[in-house]
Amino acid sequence: MSADRHLRLSIALVAIFLAMGLWLEAMYGLRAEGWVDDPLRREFLRLGHAHGALLGLVNVALGWGCERLETPAAWAMKIRMAAWIGASLVGVGFVAGGLLHGPTDPGLPILAVPAGALMVLTSSVAVALVRPSDILPSSD
Amino acid sequence: MMMDGRPRAAAILLFGPALVFAVAATSVALWTLADDDAWGPVERRGAAVVQSDTCARCHPQQHASWHRSYHRTMTQVAEGDALLAPFAGEQLDYLGFRATMERGAEGQPRVRIAALGEPAEELFAADIAMTVGSHRYQQYLARVDREGAGEVWRLPLAWHVAEGRWIHLNGAFLEPEGKLGSEEDYLRHLSRWNDNCVFCHNTEPRPGAAADGSFSTRVGELGIACEACHGPAGAHVERHANPLRRILAAESALRQDGSIADPGEMSADLSSEVCGRCHGNRIARDLSAVLRDGDGFLPGEELARVSRPIFADSVIGGSAETPFSERFWPDGTPRLSAYEYQGLLLSACHTGGEGLGCGACHSMHESEPSMQLRRDRQGDATCRHCHDEGAVPPAHGGHTAAISCAACHMPRVTYGLVQGMISHRITSPDPAALVGRDDQPDACTQCHVDRSRSWAAEGMAALGLRGRQAVALPSVEESWGSRVLLDLYGGDPLQRVLAADALAQASTPVAAELRMRWLLGALEDEYPAVRFAAARGLAQVADDEAPGLTAKIAAYDFLGPVELRLEAVDALREALGEDPFSGHEERRSSLLEHQERQLLWIGE
Repeated sequence: MSADRHLRLSIALVAIFLAMGLWLEAMYGLRAEGWVDDPLRREFLRLGHAHGALLGLVNVALGWGCERLETPAAWAMKIRMAAWIGASLVGVGFVAGGLLHGPTDPGLPILAVPAGALMVLTSSVAVALVRPSDILPSSD
Repeated sequence: MMMDGRPRAAAILLFGPALVFAVAATSVALWTLADDDAWGPVERRGAAVVQSDTCARCHPQQHASWHRSYHRTMTQVAEGDALLAPFAGEQLDYLGFRATMERGAEGQPRVRIAALGEPAEELFAADIAMTVGSHRYQQYLARVDREGAGEVWRLPLAWHVAEGRWIHLNGAFLEPEGKLGSEEDYLRHLSRWNDNCVFCHNTEPRPGAAADGSFSTRVGELGIACEACHGPAGAHVERHANPLRRILAAESALRQDGSIADPGEMSADLSSEVCGRCHGNRIARDLSAVLRDGDGFLPGEELARVSRPIFADSVIGGSAETPFSERFWPDGTPRLSAYEYQGLLLSACHTGGEGLGCGACHSMHESEPSMQLRRDRQGDATCRHCHDEGAVPPAHGGHTAAISCAACHMPRVTYGLVQGMISHRITSPDPAALVGRDDQPDACTQCHVDRSRSWAAEGMAALGLRGRQAVALPSVEESWGSRVLLDLYGGDPLQRVLAADALAQASTPVAAELRMRWLLGALEDEYPAVRFAAARGLAQVADDEAPGLTAKIAAYDFLGPVELRLEAVDALREALGEDPFSGHEERRSSLLEHQERQLLWIGE
C-alpha cells in the first residue's frame, strides 16, 4: 500500500468511525429501541466507534513514522497494509459483534477484533524495530 | 536491530500472529460446535449453587432488576441497611410483657422481653442474627437452641414498614388475643426458622433436620436469589466458562441450553409452578426428606413430583378430615395470601383458552419491585390481551372504564401480610349465588359497601350482566344493614378484616363520614388483626377526607391496654357519631353472637 493511499484510507477510517459517533448520539437522543434498552449492544458499538477512530489515527501516526524513520519501502508497504486492515477489523469486529450479539456475549464477528489488534500491534512493533538498512533483497 | 531480509519474513511477522489466532479460533470453534458436552443435555439436579454475584458477571441487567426486588431482601444478615427498625431502645408493651429493642455493646441489634411489673422477670433475650421481609413488615431471627442444637427462631415481633412501628405477631395472625400475662400466648409465634420460614425465604435451603432434633441448616444464598427460580447454576457456569461457546450461542439456532431453567421460556404451566413453589402452600410427598434435604423441586420440572397444592378439600395421610378448609371460602377460593397459585389453577383463564400463567401479569426483571407487574401489562393490558374491546367493551355492565377489570374479577377477598389483598382466582361476579348466605363476600358489595347482596343480585340483570337468579331468600339480617356492615359486626375474623379493608378503599362510592363511623365498631374487636385493619382503614380515609381526625386516630393503639383503646374510641365516637347499631342492641348482640361462633386460627 502506497503512503498516499494509506494516509487517505486512514483518514477515511477516522471519518467513518467519527461519523458513527454522530449516529450513536442520535440513537441516544431519539431513544432508539434496541440501543438504549440493550447495554451489551451499546457497549460494543461504543467500543467499535472509539477503537475504529483511534486506530485510524494510529495508522496516520504509523504512516508518518515510516516516513520519518525511513523504513524500507518493501517493509513500509506491508506495515501500512497490516495496520490499516487491523484497524478496520478491530472497529468493524466490535460493531458487528455488538449488532449480532447473543444473550450475554457479542456475536461471532467479535473474533475479528483480536486478529485485527494483533496486526496493528505487529505493525507498530515493526515500525519501531525496522531500520533503514533492513532492506529486503526483493526490493532492490 | 537487524531484521531478516527475506521477503516472506515481513509478511510472516506482520500477518502471522493474526493468522495463527484465526486458525486457532476457528479450530476451537469447530471443536466446540462438535462437542456434545457443550450443547447436549446436562444434569442440573445436584449442581452447585454459585450465588447471584456469579450470575451478575454475565447477566448484569437481570441481576440489577432482581437486586431492586423485595425477593432479594427476603432474608438478610441483620446489619447495616438491612435493618429497617431503629433498635434504639423502642418498647412495645403487650399482653403483660414489655419487649425492648436495642443495640448491644458492639451495635448488634437485640431484643429483650420481660414481664411487666416488679420484679421484671426476663422471658426471652437474644441478639438478632437475620431479618425476614422488607416490603410490608420485617421480622427478626435469633440463634437460640431451645429444643435442639443449631436452631434459629423467628421472634413474635415485627417492624411494620408503612406504620413505622413495632407490632406483635398475634396482631398479624387471625386469632384471638390471648390471656394477659400468659407466656404461652405471648410466644405463640416464636417459631422455628429451620423447618418453617427457611423454605420460601431463601435459595436452595437444606434444613438438615437430624433424628436427635438438631439442625444443620444451610442455604445456597440468603433471600430469594437467581437460583431460586433458575435452579442451581453450577453446571451452567461450568459450561459457559468456554468463551467461544458463549460467542457461538449468539447464533439463535444454537441458543438451546439445558444447563439452566428460564421461566421466561417455559410453558405457562411450568413457569407458574416456579412461582407456585412458594406462592401456593403445598403438601410435601415426603416430609422427612424435605426437612432433611429441602423440597427437592427443580425449576423446569413438574412441581407435582415433590408436592401437591393445598385446596379446601385436601386431606393428609388418608384421614377424612379436611384440615385446610378454613383457608378457603365455601366455593374453594383461597382466603389467604400465599395461595395465589391455587387461585390461578382455579381460574377459567388458566384452564381454558391460551392458559394464563403468572408471567402474563408479573415479571421478575421487567417490573417495578412492588407487585412486580409487567411494565407492558399495566392496568387492563393483560385482560385485553385476550378479551378485546370488541368482545368486552370497556364500560360494560354500567361501570365506567375507570373501573379496572381486576376490581370486579379479582376482588379484594384475600387476607395476607396484615391487609386485604386481591384474589388471584379470576371470576365473574355472581352475587345471586350468595343471597341468603353470610359465609363469603362478593365483588359487588365489597365495593358498594352500603348495599345488600340482594341489591347486587338484582343489579346484575338490570345492567345486562351475566348472573343467575337468586336461589335463596334474603336473610333477616339483610334489612339491618349492608353486606359489608353485617360482615364487619358479625362475620368471622377474616370477613371482618376484609370488611374494614373494603370500607377504607378510596374508590368506594360511599361517603367517607359514613365509612369512618362504621369502622369505629371494629376498633373494639376481640381480634387484634381486625382492630389493626380498622385503625389503618380509619387513618387512610381520614388522611384523604377528614384530616382533623388524624390526631384522635393516632391516639388509638390496636395493641394498647383495653381502657386506653376505649378512651380513644369514645373520643372518635364523639366526633363521628354513634355506630349503626346504636338503638338496636338486639341486632348488635345477634351479630356478636354469630362472631363468637366463628373463631379462626389461621395464618398471616
